[in-house]
Amino acid sequence: MALQQRIRSRQAHAPGATFLTYTPNGKKLITVGIDNFCRIYSTGSDDEPITVDDVQENNTAIVASNGFFIAGSEDGTVCKYSLENKKLEDILVRTSLPVRDVAMSPDGNWVAVASDELVVKVVNTKDTQQVQYLREQLRSVKHVAFDNSGSHLAVSCTDGSIYMYSLSSEQPNMIKKVDGIIKSLESDAEASSKVLWHPDGRAFAAPTAGRDIQVMSFSDWERQRAFKTGHSADITAAAWSPNGALLATTSSDLDLCLWDAKTQKLIKRFDDLKATVLALTWHPTENILSYTNNDGELFIHTDIVPGEHAALLAKPLQPAPFFHDPSEGRPANAPKPTTNGATSHEIPHRRALRLGSPDSLDDILGDALDGDEDMEDFVVDDDGAGYAPAINGHGKRTNGHLDPITGTLKRRAHGPSFEPQIHEAFQPGSTPWRGNRRYLCLNLTGFIWTVSQETGTHNTVTVEFYDREYHRDFHFTDPFLYDKACLNDTGALFSCQPNTSENTPAMIYYRPHETWTSRTDWRTHLPAGESITAIALSSSYIVVTTSTNYLRVYTLFGIPLRVYRQKASPAVTCAAFHDTVLTIGNGPVSSSGTCTLLYTLENVKTDEVYQASDMVSLPPGAELRSVFFSDEGDPYIYDSSGVLLTLLHWRVMGQAKWVPMLDTRLLERSMGGKVEESYWPVAVAGGKFHCIILKGAEQYPYFPRGILSEFGFVIPLSSPNVQTKSGKKNKSKRRDVDQDGAEMDAMSDAEAEDEDVVKAQTADPLLQSLILSSTLATQLSSTLSSIPHPTSAQRKALQDLEVGIDRTLLQLLGQECLAGEDRGMKALEIVTLMRDANGKMYDLARKVAQRYGREVLGEKIREMEERRMLGVEDEE
Amino acid sequence: MALPLPPGLTPPEVAFLCEMELVTVVPRQRLEGLALLGGQLPPLNPPHRTPLPLWLALLLKRQRRANIVPPPWLSPYSLEAILDHEIKHEDGFSPPPRLPHLPSNSLPFSPPFLPSSTADAAADALPYHWLELGEMLLEAAADDFEDPDNVRKLLRDLREVRMAKLRKGVEVLHAGGAIKMNGVGGMEVGEGRAFVGGVIDGLRKIAASREQQRKDRDREERENGYPGTAEDSDDDMDMQ
Repeated sequence: MALQQRIRSRQAHAPGATFLTYTPNGKKLITVGIDNFCRIYSTGSDDEPITVDDVQENNTAIVASNGFFIAGSEDGTVCKYSLENKKLEDILVRTSLPVRDVAMSPDGNWVAVASDELVVKVVNTKDTQQVQYLREQLRSVKHVAFDNSGSHLAVSCTDGSIYMYSLSSEQPNMIKKVDGIIKSLESDAEASSKVLWHPDGRAFAAPTAGRDIQVMSFSDWERQRAFKTGHSADITAAAWSPNGALLATTSSDLDLCLWDAKTQKLIKRFDDLKATVLALTWHPTENILSYTNNDGELFIHTDIVPGEHAALLAKPLQPAPFFHDPSEGRPANAPKPTTNGATSHEIPHRRALRLGSPDSLDDILGDALDGDEDMEDFVVDDDGAGYAPAINGHGKRTNGHLDPITGTLKRRAHGPSFEPQIHEAFQPGSTPWRGNRRYLCLNLTGFIWTVSQETGTHNTVTVEFYDREYHRDFHFTDPFLYDKACLNDTGALFSCQPNTSENTPAMIYYRPHETWTSRTDWRTHLPAGESITAIALSSSYIVVTTSTNYLRVYTLFGIPLRVYRQKASPAVTCAAFHDTVLTIGNGPVSSSGTCTLLYTLENVKTDEVYQASDMVSLPPGAELRSVFFSDEGDPYIYDSSGVLLTLLHWRVMGQAKWVPMLDTRLLERSMGGKVEESYWPVAVAGGKFHCIILKGAEQYPYFPRGILSEFGFVIPLSSPNVQTKSGKKNKSKRRDVDQDGAEMDAMSDAEAEDEDVVKAQTADPLLQSLILSSTLATQLSSTLSSIPHPTSAQRKALQDLEVGIDRTLLQLLGQECLAGEDRGMKALEIVTLMRDANGKMYDLARKVAQRYGREVLGEKIREMEERRMLGVEDEE
Repeated sequence: MALPLPPGLTPPEVAFLCEMELVTVVPRQRLEGLALLGGQLPPLNPPHRTPLPLWLALLLKRQRRANIVPPPWLSPYSLEAILDHEIKHEDGFSPPPRLPHLPSNSLPFSPPFLPSSTADAAADALPYHWLELGEMLLEAAADDFEDPDNVRKLLRDLREVRMAKLRKGVEVLHAGGAIKMNGVGGMEVGEGRAFVGGVIDGLRKIAASREQQRKDRDREERENGYPGTAEDSDDDMDMQ
């Protein structure tokens, strides 16, 4: 037992609760206990520790930076001591009740103090006048923990909830109350409910009532993996190793366990403890775990990680144990774009020491080319909180920052080897993993979602329909890990990626809903090494785009119909409707460094190309969010700036143009500014845009599924008028006044004004309906021209639209006539715009002019009518 | 006359009238359009939102064939705003929804032909049938609300604030007195009718004896030949 001999106990303090901390540079270890001194041990030397006197008695917490340390005591004082002259420097704060925990922000500027008072105080260590108060919790607080950026504070309250505060603003505000993880504990209990921030900053862990360590992701508050510790008593202390690859836990059952963070497997269990360990701390750089127990003893356990696992500790920063790492949840793009760093799973060696320094390139150039939101808060660390390359024994920086070989990917983007930004591939209607679930497909037929199981070997796929009577919901166990799906009224299509470990190629699986023979579902494998970027399902064809830029078209019975290579590559996405297939790929690079998107529209049945490699019009910086066909069969796109566009004249080569049909930023409900929401596109059907409204900063729908909302088309002509809105407010105020006075005269006055306002407003809706119905008429007439025998209902719909346009024009004409003689020119122009669908419109227009007594205008209209008649005759 | 009912409409009758109101449903199964005596009903096509009369919506909801989208004024946010308005303005009720502007040549519309309770109704005003519609939706379709308990509580608060106003208005009810009842809902009218009618009746009885006295005196005076012009004119002034 050579190992055992090395860990001898050191009687640091009188028997009783003892706590410890390392300075961030790892040189000093400081302990406090129930007696009125603290001891400072130097790492690597067995000398007697230095004793600092004039410390309070019954200390309960200690934190240290490189220059000073701070101890909190049960008598309610939090004192700051200098490490240089080992003297009391300052009393930072006094509380009326015992201090329970102290946490220091990574930059050493702020200290959070938890006491039996209800308020958590966050005190500036340099200026004790600067104090922030956190008051949301209703009971006293047991633990506090800063995250690695120092901008968030996790407060473990004795009521069994974690209160998450953001300290980045002037006033601290609570961002989330996390229930149901930690246990409700007495504030002086030995058991711990402390939040352990994973060093990568995207997740935190906390001991649960079931004596597990539950990991939770920070941004979406989803439960991630858990460490089943198997402790037979409450956990009293736990700590991530500085790189996040290991977790150490201990409990009052006198066991100390080491866990591999990636697999959540036990690495080693030490069961020879003599007393309950109350605090344990990893050495910032070396293979040392130190802990203190409730008997006044300190253990400095060198080489605690056994040799075969010691490599784990030497690894760079490890990602937190997510079910599905947000950075790998995105669809696999065929050639990995090296500019978007997130797709590489190996986290590059960080350069924490340079960040934020005056010569930091990122500070100078900004993160313009970073382009990866998911990773943006991934390790913002500026201070050497432990896992960063440490300062070496001589107080100089180690050569960690000179590491030129693995240089950051970020840096490479600024370098000479320019690479364009490729639009990532996506599957319309799907969402990324969040927790262990995601939607594979969400449209107006129904939705498909998948749940990954703990074992990771299979998922459970559920298909649900809106129309419960017409189709039956079903679910199945999915060993292939399908990652894309399509759903329509005829069937469901799934696809999975090739599995390199088992050497299985990519596969597509089609399952028709109903057949008149036995069910004819089928699977097809793709050639080895070819992965799937997007799939689409129409009522008669299946379309697959792949990483080798092939477009593969199958019939619904699995017969390959067409295979060809796409001109625009790499492929982004595809959509299909009946025989029409729309594919979108990355095209030439534009001046902003991003690829322009090119689309191709074709009829796979007749093999006729409607539009070849035409541009998808996107505003600068915007991305494509969804592509789909409406129920009429017209292509629509929705971009990240919130605009829905359709393609007009797309059946004639070279004539296609993108027309905005709705700008969700201009919706009246979002203009009020009272709600922050975004719209997740689902479909266009029945002349309406169907979407799911997402509250706050969420980007994707999650469970439970939000209800579908629908919005009519509004072609963006002008912003909703703020002027008229304030007018309305005045009006309603006046109405109130009326009620006070109850005078009928004033009432009718207000009503008259009502009408004035309404009249002033009516022009805008008329113009809106004019442009909207002419756009829809164009689209419908193009659709009808493509059908050999349009039904009478379709023809009637078109005629109704055209008559509607003329009627709107007549109303506009009436307004102009009413406005005065001098508007005659405009009135005449309105008449020229008429389509005269039923041949009576000029007549009607003349009557309108006569009704308002505009004789000159009437005359001109008659002339125009005659000229038109003549023109028609000439043509004949 | 044998019907032992109070004058006016009973609550079930008001609720029956309310069932004509249109609400928005999200159907969960297909249904062809129905040609009913009351008018054509649109076809149901999941998951497209469709306006349906409340009676049909409740029927489909009970059979789990549809979900009802609560009107925007039944959201806690709107109800709180309206409740604030009611508490702040002690005299007068919160204004009813604005009537849409219609072309002059069409007939004026009123509920239930106005969609005042569909998903695109105004969020800031209580329609005529607010109380009964809210209660019915909360009873049959509580699971379609985001926060049904809160909505229930706010509806109860609103009802009490408004009933208190209505009752307070009775104090000024004497011959020639008036309270303004703009924005009062159907159920409130039905409920208020009982006691307002009672108060007026009582007042009339009290006034009737005085009236009788005056008439008697007038008759006496006329018979006695004294012209009582001065007093008469005083009385006239009082009446105004």
